Amino acid sequence: MGLRKSTAALGDAEWTDLRDAFTAAYRLSDERGYGFYAGLHGLPLPAYCQHGTVLFLLWHRAYLYFFERALTDALRRARGDPAVAVSLPWWDWTSATSHHAGLPAGYATDGGNPLAAGPVTLDDSDLATVRRNLPGAISDGPSPVTVRDPGPPDDLPRQRTVTRALRAPTFTDFSRLVEGIHNSVHGWVGGAMSAVPIAAYDPVFWAHHSMIDRLWYLWQISPRGVNPPAWLLDRALAPWPVTVRQVLDVSRLGYEYAVQVVA
Amino acid sequence: MVTMQDAARGESDQTVIVELPYPTAAGAQPFTRADVVFTGVDHSTSSYEVRLFFNNPAATAGTPRAVEEGYAGRFTVFGHGGCYGDEGHCEVPEPSTDPTDLRPPHPLTPLDTYVTVTDALRALLAGDTLRTTTLVPVSLAPRQQDRGPAPELLHFADVSLQIYLTATESDAPE
Repeated sequence: MGLRKSTAALGDAEWTDLRDAFTAAYRLSDERGYGFYAGLHGLPLPAYCQHGTVLFLLWHRAYLYFFERALTDALRRARGDPAVAVSLPWWDWTSATSHHAGLPAGYATDGGNPLAAGPVTLDDSDLATVRRNLPGAISDGPSPVTVRDPGPPDDLPRQRTVTRALRAPTFTDFSRLVEGIHNSVHGWVGGAMSAVPIAAYDPVFWAHHSMIDRLWYLWQISPRGVNPPAWLLDRALAPWPVTVRQVLDVSRLGYEYAVQVVA
Repeated sequence: MVTMQDAARGESDQTVIVELPYPTAAGAQPFTRADVVFTGVDHSTSSYEVRLFFNNPAATAGTPRAVEEGYAGRFTVFGHGGCYGDEGHCEVPEPSTDPTDLRPPHPLTPLDTYVTVTDALRALLAGDTLRTTTLVPVSLAPRQQDRGPAPELLHFADVSLQIYLTATESDAPE
């Protein structure tokens, strides 16, 4: 069972594993690699992501599940260690630390940190369109990486905003409220994260979405948590070979959230 | 309900002003929740946010998000940043009426969203009445330096004020 922790609770060894796993995934250019998974969110076409629909939380839960498995596979192969595993940490942008420092320190832009930027492995045509439509989203040159331009830390969502969402009485209401909060964080990070087609190329995308998935988990286990409407349960979550029903219970997906770090 | 076409333009054509009066039929009844509901919101462009100000038709992108300015809330649109396909790729077709058409909606189908304005509206009604709501679109371009007023990004079908009296405490103010 994988345990997703807060970025604030990761130990040195866990940060090392995470960096090594991302580095290993960056080096794979096939359907096991980082570019493949990042691309499913937007570019290269087709884009599979779900935004502004009732599938937002459901599709992204499946997305993180398959990406997390791919990260572990990449790390195991790179180290020759079939037992090692990584879990996606969550970035609590409501925390006092985030409202003071902004992005988690582990994703800081310094000295070759693989979590500071991700390679944008698009063809020349897509790169040209991204640079024309979204100046400042990716770096210049032949091997671009994602760029960030975050806002003031205290502009990040506050706990009271999340608390309000967690009091939503229906799945649809909760999903819309959380998606709105999610949108604002994408805008806050800026750079590649501010645009759907290339957001997932930034490594912090996964920590942000792990937080979103965790909020849904917290709502699910709260007294208000209910399943999505019945008519939705057998809907496929393309391109993943799973249905809505199959992503409702995180324990069946093999992971859990550390709701609170005790020690 | 006010359509985009029927809305007035505000300061330097950079904002949209709509009249969403508090329904007189509601009288002095208490309400537990109030939403400004938008339908048909475009998300094909770069990301942007829309700030709502009550009774402040002069509000602009530079107006502080403060209660004294009539600030009531905002919503953020996570945009697709333009079209990356061939000609026609980003044209949203009319919804299919064919019952055998199992294809999902076009990814750029305009979305519906809302801003919960319960506290702001309640505070306003304590000493005034709601006359106008100013919508201030601000771009969320990748670079902070490129952000600013973005009237060209805001397109919606209609906007309405919806007032609720709910039976649970879930929508009550904190």
